[in-house]
Amino acid sequence: MNPGVVIVARARSDRDERLLSADEPLAALQRACGGAIPGIVAIPQLLELVRRAGHYRMKLARVVHARDESNAISAWVEVSPDDEGCALAISNWRAAPLASAEPMGGDDDLAGVAAQCADLHARLDARQQVLAVSRASVLLEPVAATMREACGRPWTDFVEIAGNSHRQPLHWRLLDGAEVTCGDVPGRWVARLFPLGGEHGAVAGFDLYLVAVDAGPLPDPDAPASPGDPVGDPLDGVLGRDLAPALRQPIARIIANAETIRMRLAGPLADEYAGYAGDIADAARHLQGLVEDLADLDAIETPGFAPAHDRIDLADAARRAAGILGVRARERSIVVEVPDDAVKVPATGEYRRVLQVLLNLLGNALRYSPEGSTVRLEVELRGERASVTVTDDGPGLTPDQQTKVFDKFERLGRSGDGGSGLGLYISRFLARAMGGDLSVASVPGEGARFTLELPPG
Amino acid sequence: MAEPAFSLADDTALVALFAERLALSDKALDDARPILRHLLGTDDHELFSDRIVAAVGAQLRDIAFQLVVAVETAAGNPEPRGVAEDACDSLALAFADHSVLLGHAHALALEVALAERLAARLGLEPVLSPLLQELIATDDAATSAGAMNLLAAQARFGQTQRRGELPLGELPGDLLHAALIVMRTWIGTGDLARDAHAAEAERAIRAGYDEASSRLGLLQRLVAGMGGGAIGALDLTHGGIALFATALALGSGHERDRAVLSLSEGQLPRLALALLACGLKAAAVEAQVLALHPDAALPLGLDGLRPDRSAALLAGADR
Repeated sequence: MNPGVVIVARARSDRDERLLSADEPLAALQRACGGAIPGIVAIPQLLELVRRAGHYRMKLARVVHARDESNAISAWVEVSPDDEGCALAISNWRAAPLASAEPMGGDDDLAGVAAQCADLHARLDARQQVLAVSRASVLLEPVAATMREACGRPWTDFVEIAGNSHRQPLHWRLLDGAEVTCGDVPGRWVARLFPLGGEHGAVAGFDLYLVAVDAGPLPDPDAPASPGDPVGDPLDGVLGRDLAPALRQPIARIIANAETIRMRLAGPLADEYAGYAGDIADAARHLQGLVEDLADLDAIETPGFAPAHDRIDLADAARRAAGILGVRARERSIVVEVPDDAVKVPATGEYRRVLQVLLNLLGNALRYSPEGSTVRLEVELRGERASVTVTDDGPGLTPDQQTKVFDKFERLGRSGDGGSGLGLYISRFLARAMGGDLSVASVPGEGARFTLELPPG
Repeated sequence: MAEPAFSLADDTALVALFAERLALSDKALDDARPILRHLLGTDDHELFSDRIVAAVGAQLRDIAFQLVVAVETAAGNPEPRGVAEDACDSLALAFADHSVLLGHAHALALEVALAERLAARLGLEPVLSPLLQELIATDDAATSAGAMNLLAAQARFGQTQRRGELPLGELPGDLLHAALIVMRTWIGTGDLARDAHAAEAERAIRAGYDEASSRLGLLQRLVAGMGGGAIGALDLTHGGIALFATALALGSGHERDRAVLSLSEGQLPRLALALLACGLKAAAVEAQVLALHPDAALPLGLDGLRPDRSAALLAGADR
């Protein structure tokens, strides 16, 4: 083994290239690639490497690339063959979200589609002023003619933009996709703007395409909304439904890049800058948690939300939650006590949601307990109630705090620790929706005890 | 909706141009090895400099020498080197018939020549580039140790190359395996005792080999460990030839030998595309090309090609 290599995982394969044992995260990747342990190595490049090392009877070391559901993964793998098979040592594990390459301002393929079906194509400069009209259909030829005569004026002077009385032109992103009409010409078009790259990432100009939409009367933007319209709070539910999916990937990228800088993977860096990068990553993680919580809030507050009533094992859920947060617990040297494998507490609820509640409770316990302390997960079946209790040695809660802690956005005066103030609210909401409850008992200075109760299974 | 099929600011013509150039440069590469083989047997040195051809020949001879010494030692010969001096020429010629081995020796010789050229013109230290210095100085212990090992390996590489040597342990695993297979065929006497000695030597060589500690292994691990920062190694004057070539190979999915060959003058389109495929901007690509070939004329319209298109074009050309 080379000095200075930090091994993240070890594994063994037998002579038939079957993976006999593997540490995480390799084990997870093996499963994500459709393999099992023990089972034939399912990661294609790794299989090739193991095969070669076995065949050559030589120690080989290469970069192996793979992907799981959502990440592109690369790792440095050293394979040492012996009589029984191969020993694998894996280091430099890195996972980056699989991001579709996004050139500035959109997709060339989309531009291609727009080009194929547009009724008018014009080239604009960086200020969206018409430079040239390359082609137009017979229908829009009059508009094109006007544009050609008045080159140098913004394209928005030649069309009417539905529902938009702002001074034009707006930022191109606001105009891309807008519906326009062209004077007397019957029909509606969608304006598509594709920026053209210039020096140093600046926009050098645009391709403008007007693509016809199905003919039909335009809704009058000035008419008052009909009484049946679901107007209400315009932001109501928008975050969960529309924004959260769009926010997840950019935030994940911010975290990944900031972590890359923080870990100095992108090259040497002064300590304070690595610290700033850590702050960026933490802030983005906070944002990520907030987005997830708000999305969850939207989901559960939607009328008609009902968790499933499945027969589940609370003890199993508790062990799973502890397993998932095991790394975080180890980071803070906190021991998490879980029920024995033999213990079973049947309950009724939706497994995923129960796990979510337990992760929230355990996550809080890990966050607020002192380093080196113990957090206990205990299960109990008593009469009409199955319950799981999370007990920590943290600072505890005053009676006043205990009444408030389940309120929406309640932070108990804390800030900057990554919490959103929604976790316990959502958890209690879920517990009650499953026919159970979530309660707290605590004495300040002596830790807190959160109990999730569910109907027995 | 009326007439369809507007021509988008189309890159079809550009793609065709590059495809044509790649086809030409591929032919040049394919032709290179038979010619090199030919040059080794004759005195006709037109296409390659005397130095490079001599270096290639010397390296192949050195591999052969080490292998014959290993077999003779296994056979208990007290003077293995004497026998090897006499026998290794014909084995070296057998290696020259193996185009990948031949290409590898050629790429290494070219790497040394390019490093010397950059040292002379830009004052770029061939062993310790600025990037390697930074990596050694970093406070991440693993990276720093890896970089120190690489520094030592780079220094050894310079020395062995000057002496026309190519230690077996520095060959990539696949090529060492290939060399051993060639040797097996070459020995192929049917003499049981000799075959047994050869097998014993081979076993010892395989058992003693560790790809991770070879210079190329260290380079690959270091560059792979830089993750997104590997793009920093794609600055020739910052990273130096060795790190540059490895980053180029990893970033564009090429064999490293091919990446080194693409640094030679006739391979500009390939180099430009490979750099684009690594995600470099057109201006940065230009800077790299000009650092290597100050009077080169770059193909126009580089900024019109996306990284994925460049990669696809290269992959198509590599067959």
